[in-house]
Amino acid sequence: MTASAPVLARPTAVQWARKNLFNNWWSGLVTIISLPVLAYIAYRVLLFVFVNAQWEAVTRNLTLFMQGTFPRDEQWRLIAQILFFALAFGVGAGTNSASTRDAAEDAGLTYIKGTIFGTFRRMWSLALFIGILLYFATLDPAGAWYNPFLLVAAVAVMAVLGYQVKWLPRRFRNLGWVLTGILLVFGFQIVSGFDAGGWVPVGLILAVTAYSAIAADRFNNRWIAAGVRLAAAVVVALTVRFIYIVVDTTGVGWDFWSGLHLTLMVSALAIVLAFPLGLVLALARRSTLPALRWIATGYIELIRGVPLIALLFMGQYVLGFLLPQEVSLSSITRAIVAMSLFTSAYVAEIVRGGLQSLPKGQTEAGQALGMAPPTIMRRIVLPQALRAVIPAMVGQFISLFKDSSLLTIIGILEFLGVREIVHAQPDFRGVAIAETLVFVAFGYWAFAFAMSRESQRLERRLRVSR
Amino acid sequence: MTTSQTTTEVARPPFWRDIRVIRVVGQIVAVVIVFFLLRYFYGNLIENFNRLGISTSYGFLSSPTNFRITYHESFNPRSPVWEMVLVGVKNTFLAGFFGIILASVVGLFVGVSRLSENWLINKAAMLYVETFRNIPPLVIIVFFGFAVFFYGPFPIFSESWEFSLPGSENVFLILNKDRWGIPGFSEIGNLTFFWVVLALGVIAAIVVWKWRTRMFDRTGQPHHRVLWATGVVLAFSIVGYFVTGQPFEVSYPAISEDRRVLNGGFAINWGFISVTVALGLYTASHIGEIIRGSILAIHSGQSEAANALALSGFQRYRFVILPQAMRIALPPTINQYLNLVKNTSLGTAAAYAEITALTKTSIGNGRPTFQSIVIMMAVYLAFSLVISAILNVVNQRLKLVDR
Repeated sequence: MTASAPVLARPTAVQWARKNLFNNWWSGLVTIISLPVLAYIAYRVLLFVFVNAQWEAVTRNLTLFMQGTFPRDEQWRLIAQILFFALAFGVGAGTNSASTRDAAEDAGLTYIKGTIFGTFRRMWSLALFIGILLYFATLDPAGAWYNPFLLVAAVAVMAVLGYQVKWLPRRFRNLGWVLTGILLVFGFQIVSGFDAGGWVPVGLILAVTAYSAIAADRFNNRWIAAGVRLAAAVVVALTVRFIYIVVDTTGVGWDFWSGLHLTLMVSALAIVLAFPLGLVLALARRSTLPALRWIATGYIELIRGVPLIALLFMGQYVLGFLLPQEVSLSSITRAIVAMSLFTSAYVAEIVRGGLQSLPKGQTEAGQALGMAPPTIMRRIVLPQALRAVIPAMVGQFISLFKDSSLLTIIGILEFLGVREIVHAQPDFRGVAIAETLVFVAFGYWAFAFAMSRESQRLERRLRVSR
Repeated sequence: MTTSQTTTEVARPPFWRDIRVIRVVGQIVAVVIVFFLLRYFYGNLIENFNRLGISTSYGFLSSPTNFRITYHESFNPRSPVWEMVLVGVKNTFLAGFFGIILASVVGLFVGVSRLSENWLINKAAMLYVETFRNIPPLVIIVFFGFAVFFYGPFPIFSESWEFSLPGSENVFLILNKDRWGIPGFSEIGNLTFFWVVLALGVIAAIVVWKWRTRMFDRTGQPHHRVLWATGVVLAFSIVGYFVTGQPFEVSYPAISEDRRVLNGGFAINWGFISVTVALGLYTASHIGEIIRGSILAIHSGQSEAANALALSGFQRYRFVILPQAMRIALPPTINQYLNLVKNTSLGTAAAYAEITALTKTSIGNGRPTFQSIVIMMAVYLAFSLVISAILNVVNQRLKLVDR
């Protein structure tokens, strides 16, 4: 008889069932009762999805769901935007993975490469959604004026192309992040147009880069150093502004956006705008100055005490009165203001949690080194606190993304709202209600689920690295 | 002496870097900025109101609303606005209350199922949580309101499905698109005395509860205080029912001859069902995760200790795991309740007459926008404050238990 290593036998189906379904009499009873109920529910769901549902309401209006009433002859802008975002995503992912590799090298650890399958495992819900969109697009080819398969392929190519920044030398890491930011802003502006005030975000990113890129130790006097850095930042910002004045092309403002496109853009904009305000509020709430603390606490508790819809109503009906007569904001702008103010209170609480989670020794170490309080905050506390709150921020973004459906109630046609256009069409008046709703719910689900998976992964990684 | 004085003066930083000066100036600057910001907004508001001739008074509260509220027959277009606010508050409260009950029951069930060793139950609970957690509550409400009710499988009111128990004439369930009927109580005598007796019963129950607790502390015998207190209240209500001359009876729902009106029983409308069920199911997915996390957070040594004491599986959960898990789970769960109450504002999408929907209608009917929204926000703030107060009490009690 030959000796062989003991092998963990794969359990047979019966063994598996005995262990997992009929472990004891109680478990067996539960299985016997719940199996038919669950099977019936599954049967009804499958019957609906594959047999009974009239998906024409969705397939014929796919463009409507995606981009709503976006002007048809400007659609190329959306394509360009998707490609820009794909490139930005690739550059960001490449820079991120390269800096992880750098850190691993510095620590003398082995860097385990992430695989494309790992990404896919986290993003499978999104992939499924895109797959369904592609399938629906083939059912009604007249709906799309471009080849959706080609678009998906182009997106993949752009992302892979951007990812190659991974191979750049180390000194380009920060530049990678700057490039990601600028590509995102450009992607946004390719739709909204390169005009009025559009230079601000790009100018800001580049000015800050210029300010920090100039080595300070070259100058003996710190005032001169600061002056030179500032001058460089101003020159860069003015140059960007000049370029924008020269380029000046109008695009399609967000008042004309709708559908899934609007949902994604509005939630991204609101969280970006809410973050600085939330950061300031969190610092003020943690401040030792009572007046600052009271103001911040009052604001945060007031906002957190009312539902978002109340603030959206405030934005729609009252915001106009709070501003001078000359200023008139569009409905979507007012909604974005309301959503940003709402989110800032929640961001403040999240950041406060991050600040509180930091051991006191960190601040004290800074004090022992003779650092000024703002420097301690900027160099020691904030970098650690903000890294710790990334998963919670993703969670807040998910909830903001879900809350953006409330824009329907104030008459803005985002992803849920475009259903009203669909069901105003003669063919779908009062029919296929469940179908469009299931489709919309699935769209929200796909994005939110992918993001929550990503946030879980970040959380695990942070826990390991601590 | 003089030297030491000079050194302290030299060590003092210039005033713009003196922490004491910065503290005072910083606060003054912050207050001034906020003050001027508010002053600016308020000034614009008053100027715009004056220009457009909008009143800033709350006198409109006593003027008639000029609209009806569906399913509220006692409310007519002549009823003043403040009465509408009360209807809205009542409906918000009802949806929030029943939503919380549903969410708690389903959430507890789902949370415990998520930890079940039974593969089927475990995966079904996971599917439930991952589905509902990632869909906007508004979409779920709209689904119930329109896919289930408005355009759904239920018949119109005049062709309602009526169910009666076998061997009984009375209808005990009426289903349709519009209003569901379930058995309720109707007053046939004077209820005042019955309420008094019931109140006495509650007081007696509290006394009995305290007595059982003392007994337990002294002798260590099982207190069974929940059982005792429930029994006392039940006994009082049964005795009170007969003593006060049977002041109420069970009333069964019935549809009138012309099949337009629902008589008797207790009527619940489709908006209420949609909002309550949708928010209950949505919030249950969050509560389920909280409960699961709390149970997992209990150190495994607790479980092993319970096993070492030869407690059964149920006893282990009831006396060792759950009491500790509840302490972790309660604060975030109450936060979820707060979210649920705030989310009832989405009832406006299913035409449920809660405060947001009524405020929106009332603004559409020409009531002043600013004041209406301020009242609405005040209502939600009040709800939030009450729930926060409960949360604080709970936190304090939990802290007391902890040494």
